[in-house]
Amino acid sequence: MNLPLFKFGYFNDEVSLIVAFIIGIAFGFVLERGGFGSGRQLAAQFYFTDMRVFKVMFTAITFAMIGVFYLSWMGFLDLSLVYISDTYILPQAVGGLILGVGFVVGGYCPGTSGVAIATGKIDAMFYGVGGFFGIFIFGEMFPWIEDFFNSTHMGRITLPEYFGIDYGIVLFLVILMAIAGFTGADWGEKIMAKKKLAKAKES
Amino acid sequence: MLLKNFADMPPRKRIGLIAILLGIIAIFAGDPTSKARTTIDAKEIALLSDSDIMEVHTDELADWIIKGKFDYRLIDLRNKGEFDKYNIPSSECLLVNQLLTSDLARNEKILLYGDSERTSSQAWFLLKAAKYKSVSILKNGIEGWKKQVLFPKCTCDVNPTTGQKHNHAKLAEVSNFFGGGMQSGSVKPTGTKMAMPTLVAPAKITLKKSRGKKKREGC
Repeated sequence: MNLPLFKFGYFNDEVSLIVAFIIGIAFGFVLERGGFGSGRQLAAQFYFTDMRVFKVMFTAITFAMIGVFYLSWMGFLDLSLVYISDTYILPQAVGGLILGVGFVVGGYCPGTSGVAIATGKIDAMFYGVGGFFGIFIFGEMFPWIEDFFNSTHMGRITLPEYFGIDYGIVLFLVILMAIAGFTGADWGEKIMAKKKLAKAKES
Repeated sequence: MLLKNFADMPPRKRIGLIAILLGIIAIFAGDPTSKARTTIDAKEIALLSDSDIMEVHTDELADWIIKGKFDYRLIDLRNKGEFDKYNIPSSECLLVNQLLTSDLARNEKILLYGDSERTSSQAWFLLKAAKYKSVSILKNGIEGWKKQVLFPKCTCDVNPTTGQKHNHAKLAEVSNFFGGGMQSGSVKPTGTKMAMPTLVAPAKITLKKSRGKKKREGC
């Protein structure tokens, strides 16, 4: 089998839309079941009170990375055909900061707000409208920020290429990072739970 | 004992342990992006090499270039010196040993040509073994291009038929397009090689080289 299937012409543009629709439904379902449809649950990550979303997300990333590595290693997947967006380090760092602030304030990221809208959450609907308004503002402002938007272009670069180390080592480090992250998240949750209990006793 | 301990662990610890194990194996597994290591389906390759689908005729290629059809990568397998002297318009110079490290993608249509069909066949086998999906060889290579497109021979009778005249005009038009010219059929081979058109000549060919609009990807 040659993966990615679409890139190897196993199905055409029209069928790809149907495939995308099915994957989208599955993705949305899993996100909702994982707790990503609740603004409170999502914002709880930043207060270390409930780290479920962080654990689900990092597990998914690590699992996907292991899958991509071994599928590619076994010759089923051509990694060079997997789309990786170009890196623009400075504008992406600023964009990430803005997204993070929006995440804490609004309780959603763009994808999870879609999940929450589907479950009828009114706050998510406002968040979605705000998102579209932000896109409109960005579009109108684009001529003034275009130079910054295109600055510090590094091309299609991955961690193994950037650091000049083997893909396998990066995979191993990410797995260690995930396990350390989960342990740290458990620890943070326990501390916050103790603090909450102490506060409740005081009052 | 070890297995029992493993079975007694909570599921999250078991998953974590398996992940660490896979991570350790990955360190020693080697580069997954390397195209050098591959498995060959000998039966599939044998069937493919036995069929005609791997060959493209020179007149077919000429037609594609004239019509501006560039949904393929045309690879010249000769050395840089020969490539610079003359190459088929829109071709790229890559030696056989550079193929797997080049930017050729496995899902691209690739058309190979060289001095001989032996080089093209070697390159074809290499690419097919590395699971490149669509690889073809230009029939008779650069010599075929020279004989059938650049300097085709007129095979008309003394009193040519309308069909022969039409064919002659078409051949002449194509060879002129690529900077060559028709050769009279009565001319006997002198043993001297016909000079290839210089790269200045094909420069007048305005190729509308477009591989189509690049699709936007990602989110």
